[in-house]
Amino acid sequence: MLTSIKSNHLTSSGQRLGMMYFRVAIILFGAQLLMGLIAAIQFIYPAFLFELFDFSVARMVHINALVVWMLYAMIGATYYMLSDETEHEGVAIGLGKLAFWVLTLAVTIVVLVYIFIQIGPGKESTIWLINEGREYIEAPRWADIGIVVVVLIFYWNVFATYLAGKKTGIMTVMVANLLALAGLYLAGMFFTDNISMDQFWWWWVIHLWVEATWEVFVGTLAAYALIKIIGAKREVVEMWLWIEVLMLFGSGILGLGHHYFWIGTPEYWWEIGALFSALEPVPLIAMFVHVLYDWGKEQGINGEKPAINNGPAMAWLVTNAFGNFLGAGIWGFFHTLPQVNIYTHGTQFTAAHGHLSFFGAYATILIGTMYLGLQGAYGVKQMKATFNSKMGLFLSTFGVLGMGVALTIAGYEQVLVERAELGAGWNAFFVAQDLPWYVQAQLWRAIMGVVTLLGFVYLVLDLLTIGKKARAAEA
Amino acid sequence: MIDQFTDVVPSFFGMLNQGPLTLTIFLHTVIVLPMFWIYASEKKKLNK
Amino acid sequence: MAKENLSVWTSIPFWRRSAAWVTGFASILLIWLTFDTMGQISMGTEADLAKGITKRVPAPTVINYHIDYKMSEKRGHEVPVIGKKQPFFGKEWSEKEAAALLHLGKLTSQAKNCMNCHTLLGNGAYYAPDLTKAWLDPAWQKSGAMQAMTGKNTVEEAMAEFLQHPSQYPTHARMMPNLDITAEEAKGLVAFLKHMSSIDTNGFPRNFSKTVDQFKNGGTNAH
Ligand code: HEM
Ligand code: HEM
Ligand SMILES: [Fe+2]
Repeated sequence: MLTSIKSNHLTSSGQRLGMMYFRVAIILFGAQLLMGLIAAIQFIYPAFLFELFDFSVARMVHINALVVWMLYAMIGATYYMLSDETEHEGVAIGLGKLAFWVLTLAVTIVVLVYIFIQIGPGKESTIWLINEGREYIEAPRWADIGIVVVVLIFYWNVFATYLAGKKTGIMTVMVANLLALAGLYLAGMFFTDNISMDQFWWWWVIHLWVEATWEVFVGTLAAYALIKIIGAKREVVEMWLWIEVLMLFGSGILGLGHHYFWIGTPEYWWEIGALFSALEPVPLIAMFVHVLYDWGKEQGINGEKPAINNGPAMAWLVTNAFGNFLGAGIWGFFHTLPQVNIYTHGTQFTAAHGHLSFFGAYATILIGTMYLGLQGAYGVKQMKATFNSKMGLFLSTFGVLGMGVALTIAGYEQVLVERAELGAGWNAFFVAQDLPWYVQAQLWRAIMGVVTLLGFVYLVLDLLTIGKKARAAEA
Repeated sequence: MIDQFTDVVPSFFGMLNQGPLTLTIFLHTVIVLPMFWIYASEKKKLNK
Repeated sequence: MAKENLSVWTSIPFWRRSAAWVTGFASILLIWLTFDTMGQISMGTEADLAKGITKRVPAPTVINYHIDYKMSEKRGHEVPVIGKKQPFFGKEWSEKEAAALLHLGKLTSQAKNCMNCHTLLGNGAYYAPDLTKAWLDPAWQKSGAMQAMTGKNTVEEAMAEFLQHPSQYPTHARMMPNLDITAEEAKGLVAFLKHMSSIDTNGFPRNFSKTVDQFKNGGTNAH
């Protein structure tokens, strides 16, 4: 079905490969939402699919599909901008295509095993073949190794093309950042009996991805998109990019400490985690200001021609600038000081932040890049937002915001009653889960989840049709 | 100002962490200070 | 125009060099801190336990000891307190046996995907109670609901029984599913949970399952 998205007009094979990654990404995004809904319904009706397709299974597939679709979209985006930026076709795109099929086959097998086999006996073989049981990076070890091989091929492609082609500032950041991003995955690939050690390294992958390397990736993507969509000046954009790298890595790397408050690690992490991570919102504000400033400035320049050549991409980019700041910056800051985190740690508050940040910071800009890809694929000069684009953007954003608000309320109840009043025990947990306002919040989350899904339906519809329409309008 | 050492075992970072934000302010300072030097050297280059 | 270019603040090389410095140095600091922390969170030994040396993460043989979680004046929060010897499943476990049991337990916790319903050390999913100090939870103690329900009279036996047949002992509409946990695996899991409760988590969770009176007395829930 998604092959009806044509890539005929892309002259570079690297860009066509990028589109292949986008197609899989959007399918996995849909799977993510369905699994989230199952898990959300189980909060309200615990008997739903009990001992058939338990919460743990639905949730595992929910967050794994999330991580994987985003990685797919990121690889796609990289291949897409690679030939544009380097003015080089790409050194080994044929091999890259093979890697794509290998990865997609592996992902399919892993998901089928998650869904149908689910768990295994307490043996090493389970960790190698079924699942590793560590949130977000559950992929069994065989798949880990496969992923490493595929990523090596991908990275080789990017790096060698960079060396062979033009070296822009954007690509320099991209190449260095991707190396760190890929390398970090290795920190999550070992087993230990020591749960503190386990979580210490687990956070290297999770935190140093989403709060350091993925954020810098978003910075490079936004820089590229601003040049493409509104013709922002490269020197200005690249200067901002270096400032963003400075601030993101400067705060994000040691900000890792905000996960080392309570897992057995020494007390000095309280201070390190608190102040460095408290500065993490600063670059997010900077990125927000940067996008809006460029947007405003460039719009005024060309009187007769509309300055924005891709409406939906720009709309998603602006949503990203705002969502990143709100979900990661504000919601992250809420619970990042140890004095607060001792009560909020591991409550629905964390889930509220997780939803707002992953959607605001990553889903948005990656979808925006897909629109950029479509514009190239159909060879249209001017891509205007359709009714479907607007509904897709509005409903999914509104839905996620609604879920975020509902979960924040649920988390607040939980913090006060389970944590502060009753002290976090077994009974305390269930007392809080049964509070009427908590239950109500879970209901609202499910409703808003359906709204999000509706937005997704419009989004897919739009991705399938907007190119053809824009092409027809220009012909 | 300097509190008694409270953590389980003493360590270099633990020692620095014995007052209000002492450790983190120290680390921030060490990171930021060299930027003044980078600034000065870039300024010199630009003026040439 | 020429003058504008003289500003360091708009010069790309300045920001590039600064970014490289800050990133590089922060990474070096992180690596240094990592070495320091790894030293502090690697498991202790049986000798440490016997001599009463406090370790953030004690040896697996901590399962042979009584564990409590008490307010510490010095630390300003609750800390695990390792007490006298106490049989675990009716016996004392040798270093080798204890390590093997903990290994089985940790492995099983991953194989059964505990973390996608529960939190461990506060990390994981939010569908079921935090397991950090589950071993010390009043529900499992002598007068607690779980011992009564499972008809067992030690914490470890009650927990192991529950883990093997969780949906036979429902406490709420939201139940734990049957995960095909064998008797051996259940023992391992209980050892894993007991070991986790002995980890020094800098006072998380705070005020664990206490009444105000207990809290004021620096008291505790453990037996
Ligand atoms: C786009 C960037 C970000 C993403 C995608 C993100 C995502 C997440 C997710 C999914 C978790 C939960 C992890 C788990 O399942 O246990 C989490 C935890 C956390 N995040 Fe973020 N985050 C981002 C940025 C930030 C920022 C900028 C801050 C601070 C200013 C922050 C502070 C925290 C804290 C303190 C926790 C721990 C919560 C707890 O103790 O339970 N995050 N983040
Ligand atoms: C149909 C819409 C959605 C529904 C109904 C939904 C539902 C859920 C549920 C029930 C959980 C488990 C929370 C828990 O353990 O208590 C969860 C976790 C999570 N979801 Fe969603 N979700 C949806 C969409 C999304 C989207 C769009 C994103 C991001 C782009 C996302 C990211 C996450 C993350 C990061 C977690 C882990 C949070 C944490 O551990 O703190 N979800 N979701
Ligand atoms: Fe973080």
